[in-house]
Amino acid sequence: MRCPPRYAELHSHSAYSFLDGASRPEELVEKALELGYEALALTDHDSLSGAMELAIAAKGTPLKPIFGAEMTVQIERREGEGSHRRFRRREGEGLDCRCERREGALEEPFGDRGAFRHITLLVGDRRGWASLCRLITLAHSHTRSGPGRRAGQPSVTLEQVVDHADGLVCLSGCAGRGIEDEASLRRLLEAFGPRSLYIELQRTYARHDRARAMMRERLARRIGLKTVASGDVHAHSRERALLQDAFVAMRHRLTLDGCEAHLRPNHTHVLARPEALASRFAGHEDAVAESAALAETLNFDLCADLGYSYPGAEREDAARRLREVCEAAFDVRYAPGSKRRGEAALRLEEELAVIEKLRLSGFFLLHHEIFELAGEAAAAVRRGGSASTLLTPGRGRGSSVSSIVCYLTGLSHIDPVENGIAIGRFLHEEIESVPDIDLDFPRDVRERLIPMIHERYGRDCSALVAAFPTFRARGAIREIGRALGLPPGEIERVARTADGWGGEGAVAEAAKSVLGRERSNTGRWRWLVFLAEQAQRLPRHLSQHSGGMIVATRPLVDCCPIVPAAIEGRQIAQWDKDSCADAGFLKIDLLGLGMLSAVERCVETIASRTGEQVDLSRIPFDDEATFKCIEEAQTTGVFQIESRAQMSSLRRTRPRTLADLTIQVAIVRPGPIVGGAINPYIERRQRLLAEPSLRSEIPYPHPSLREPLSETLGTIVFQDQVIEVAVAFAGFTQGRAEGLRRAMSRRRSAEAIERHHREFVEGAMSTHDDVDEALAERVWQMVAGFAGFGFPKAHGAAFGLLAYQSAWLRVHHPAEFLCALLNEQPMGFYAPDSLIHEAQRRGVRVLPPEVCESDIDCTLRHDGAISMGLRYVKGLARRDAEALVAARRCAPFRSLSDLASRSGMSRAALELLASAGACDMLASGGDVARRRALWQLGMAAAAHRLKDGRMEQGGASVPRQGGGRSVPRQGGASVPRRGGGAVGRAVEGERQVAIQLALELDLPDAPALPPVGEWEAMLADYATTGVSIERHPLGLMRRSLRGEGVLCSAELEGVMHGEAVRVAGLVIARQRPSTAKGITFMLLEDEAGTINVIVSARLYERRRTVVRTEPLLLVGGRLERHESGGGTVNVVASDLEALDRSFAAGALRRSAPRPRGPLS
Amino acid sequence: MLNKPRPVSVKVGDRRHGEEGVPVEVGGERIEAVRETWLVEDRWWTESPVRRRYWEVVSAGGRNLVVFHDLLSGRWFSQAA
Repeated sequence: MRCPPRYAELHSHSAYSFLDGASRPEELVEKALELGYEALALTDHDSLSGAMELAIAAKGTPLKPIFGAEMTVQIERREGEGSHRRFRRREGEGLDCRCERREGALEEPFGDRGAFRHITLLVGDRRGWASLCRLITLAHSHTRSGPGRRAGQPSVTLEQVVDHADGLVCLSGCAGRGIEDEASLRRLLEAFGPRSLYIELQRTYARHDRARAMMRERLARRIGLKTVASGDVHAHSRERALLQDAFVAMRHRLTLDGCEAHLRPNHTHVLARPEALASRFAGHEDAVAESAALAETLNFDLCADLGYSYPGAEREDAARRLREVCEAAFDVRYAPGSKRRGEAALRLEEELAVIEKLRLSGFFLLHHEIFELAGEAAAAVRRGGSASTLLTPGRGRGSSVSSIVCYLTGLSHIDPVENGIAIGRFLHEEIESVPDIDLDFPRDVRERLIPMIHERYGRDCSALVAAFPTFRARGAIREIGRALGLPPGEIERVARTADGWGGEGAVAEAAKSVLGRERSNTGRWRWLVFLAEQAQRLPRHLSQHSGGMIVATRPLVDCCPIVPAAIEGRQIAQWDKDSCADAGFLKIDLLGLGMLSAVERCVETIASRTGEQVDLSRIPFDDEATFKCIEEAQTTGVFQIESRAQMSSLRRTRPRTLADLTIQVAIVRPGPIVGGAINPYIERRQRLLAEPSLRSEIPYPHPSLREPLSETLGTIVFQDQVIEVAVAFAGFTQGRAEGLRRAMSRRRSAEAIERHHREFVEGAMSTHDDVDEALAERVWQMVAGFAGFGFPKAHGAAFGLLAYQSAWLRVHHPAEFLCALLNEQPMGFYAPDSLIHEAQRRGVRVLPPEVCESDIDCTLRHDGAISMGLRYVKGLARRDAEALVAARRCAPFRSLSDLASRSGMSRAALELLASAGACDMLASGGDVARRRALWQLGMAAAAHRLKDGRMEQGGASVPRQGGGRSVPRQGGASVPRRGGGAVGRAVEGERQVAIQLALELDLPDAPALPPVGEWEAMLADYATTGVSIERHPLGLMRRSLRGEGVLCSAELEGVMHGEAVRVAGLVIARQRPSTAKGITFMLLEDEAGTINVIVSARLYERRRTVVRTEPLLLVGGRLERHESGGGTVNVVASDLEALDRSFAAGALRRSAPRPRGPLS
Repeated sequence: MLNKPRPVSVKVGDRRHGEEGVPVEVGGERIEAVRETWLVEDRWWTESPVRRRYWEVVSAGGRNLVVFHDLLSGRWFSQAA
């Protein structure tokens, strides 16, 4: 018996080649292990994004990971270029020779800029890794358009490759697009040398590939190079090979039927058994043997050899400097004689000792520095230095808030001593990697801060963390559906019906509900379902993480490729947060938090209107009015506790302290819900509220759990508790427990968590005599169910505080708070329309956009009413709005004609304003004002054109004064800035000219116009501004609805539990949480309040389209009011339908009774 | 139309040069040499998927022949080279 030939795979693509690879790196690793490979190289196109995943997946297995990339190389046209022309496509051949056509199609004729070819580069050592990272960074440097930037596909020149040969091995590239011209190969040979340059052979069973392999063999001999075999793998399974075909079609924006020329002729690009692969290379046995031999020489360990360190890591005086910073703040925070001072001093010493031991002093100093930089950024953004200077520019979230060092260095707003937060999870001696510090900033401060960090630490040494959005159900259905050539209308219907990835079967379910079981199970629809499910979890493209940033002392481009971000001035590393964490990179999370911006704006508005300086860190934290609202779930607009689910929970848990809020923000999360914490917690909380002495009766699965779980009444709510339980119950060390906690927050958490299962159960049984396997399993289920979708306690404390602060503002400064929320949109759970209606019900006055009053943003008038900003007029360009406001500052508008002439706006823009009712004040005339404004503005614009004797150009010109000079005005360009100097005055002079002009124009009166009906006005308001301020659609329909026995939300108060009711409303929220077994929760709003509607899975199936798409609903059902619900009223729907238009007609015509529908 | 595949009888020999299912006789004529073999897997998303193993061979009479084994039906066809 002959030994099977040894073969290593040196050329494979994962889904990180984006639409040219259909498996995740770990799927390739798993399959390679199963097939008995000894080594596997991942060579994605111009990318190392999958490298860390490969390294981690292969760690501890017999498979040797090899790192590399298939680089796109631009080759200049050369004289005597020949060999790859031999296989040029032959035109006009039929289906049966398509493989040849396809092969031909891979040939790209030389264009003006030369040809793009591929080479395979493999990392030999640490220098090679750095070379490859730099080369890939170069390849992407021109991939974004913009000023000074030219968009293009990633590519490098041959000379750039030659400059970066150090430590790399070069293979000549794939069968289709590898380099075959001798001149280029000889150039590469000079750089790489004969031992690091190979001619790559592939046997893909395409027609002529044998001839090509023989040609390459001859070429190698002529130049004096060895050949090496590779498999050009694009999928780990046959199923994914089909997906790969669909990807090819998607990449070329073609259908599968229409892209024969681009598809591979067969599926030999699936990872095959090494022996099978080797046997394809009959006559090239040397090349096969060479793959294994070469793999042995490539020794780079990504997990160990990266050589990264963060700024400050090597600062010798770091420990002393950190102590100085902390001690400087200590006396302010804990004044001599204050009750916590002694405890705090001990805690500080303890933390500083651990930090020094872990050599993390520089790490904390770095964060402190970044925070100071944020102060500068805030000062630059705020300029005026108004009330908001009282707020620090950001605040910590996450577990770092548990640290007194973070508190004293300004990173956290929470006093861990006062709040009883243990340091354990954040910082302990066994910590394996640097801790995470997440910082929240107002959005504008963050925008300014990011480029400042790039400058401070060097562009080479800082980058944003990448994120890889994966295929979502809807996107996958649309893209794959198009590739399959399915009818676009139906694809869209199926896509809209699918929710996210509601687990397995989401696409099948959507297809079935739209097309019926039969059709969704046949032909191409069946393929759609199959392929869309296959695409799940595969990365789709590179994007930017919400705020993670990495900084380093040595150039990051030696550690990881850096690519330009969509926003100029920013750059992104090719690794996501998991890969960065695995690499040990220091990641700083700079998050933009809308609510922080909103509370800042709110505090500023209060100061400018009343002169009152609100310091949110010094407001009373036991304010009765605030907690009363929170207990009664009057929390629309409040941070974190405003959602429907939070509201129904608030009425039951009745939070009364900041500590309660800390739990509250953490409990309505998937972790506690799936882990089974939420219901026991609420139930125990309710019993305790009724009878505080019952605390001693709270059941704990085991006495050792009393300590870690007492605060949350025997349930796991916080991530920290996972660690505490693992230590107390299962006898884990801190480090091991932290490993379990980290496993929970990762992408592939299920497998990672499971690895701790056995140890947990056995640990528990050996730690405690009274724990049997069943009990240990039960506790494990609590822990595993929690699975990381929860907050650390410190994070809960930070968010709970912001929830309280925003609730306090909502209670004591309702108008300013609403105004701030409206200006900070989009944010939060509710649309502006719902926020406004809810505030109106509390007596806040809101006025619609109006050209005579509105600013660009929403503003608070002196009488306390909110004047909606012009930014709410849809389609109105910001510069038009700015021009209008500037013109009004010169002099108020006197008439529509005056407005038309002085605002410098186009007719289209004026019409937008008129349609939105923003010109009603100038038009006057009650219910015909809107029409009159439209009519007269049309006339005015036309009159100006006529008078001017020329066509209006882009709406940016102003009529010429008889014999005078023309006044060009280009949008906002000439608008004076606030407090502008000479330029402002000059413009003002021009405006005076314009005002005089306006007086010359007399507009004829509008003819008699029909009044605008209430319903029509409401529709126009929604269409033009997205909000209806003066009328609620349900209010308009109420009369007809009452005739039908439909109750108003306010009337539900008097309905008994279990009674049949009919209600109607505007849908303001729909939720179908994956944790609720198919139940859909809807929140309806009418003119008096909101109504909770519960839709069963069965009803949802029957009325899916109505539930998902109709804006106005009529619901019949049973009213539920449970004692334990704390007063929450639900309507459990038995049927629902779209609110019939005839009700609306009733609103207009007060018409005769309508025919009864199915709900009657 | 000239290129329409026609059924043909093929006798297959033993494993050779790492390849299996090598034609040794096509339409009663002995095969001297195999020039090339390739694989087509296509149109799997349609009602008429294609899976064929092609062989380009030289007959004893010196003719170039292209035949394919339809891997779905198991039948052999010949095609103009």
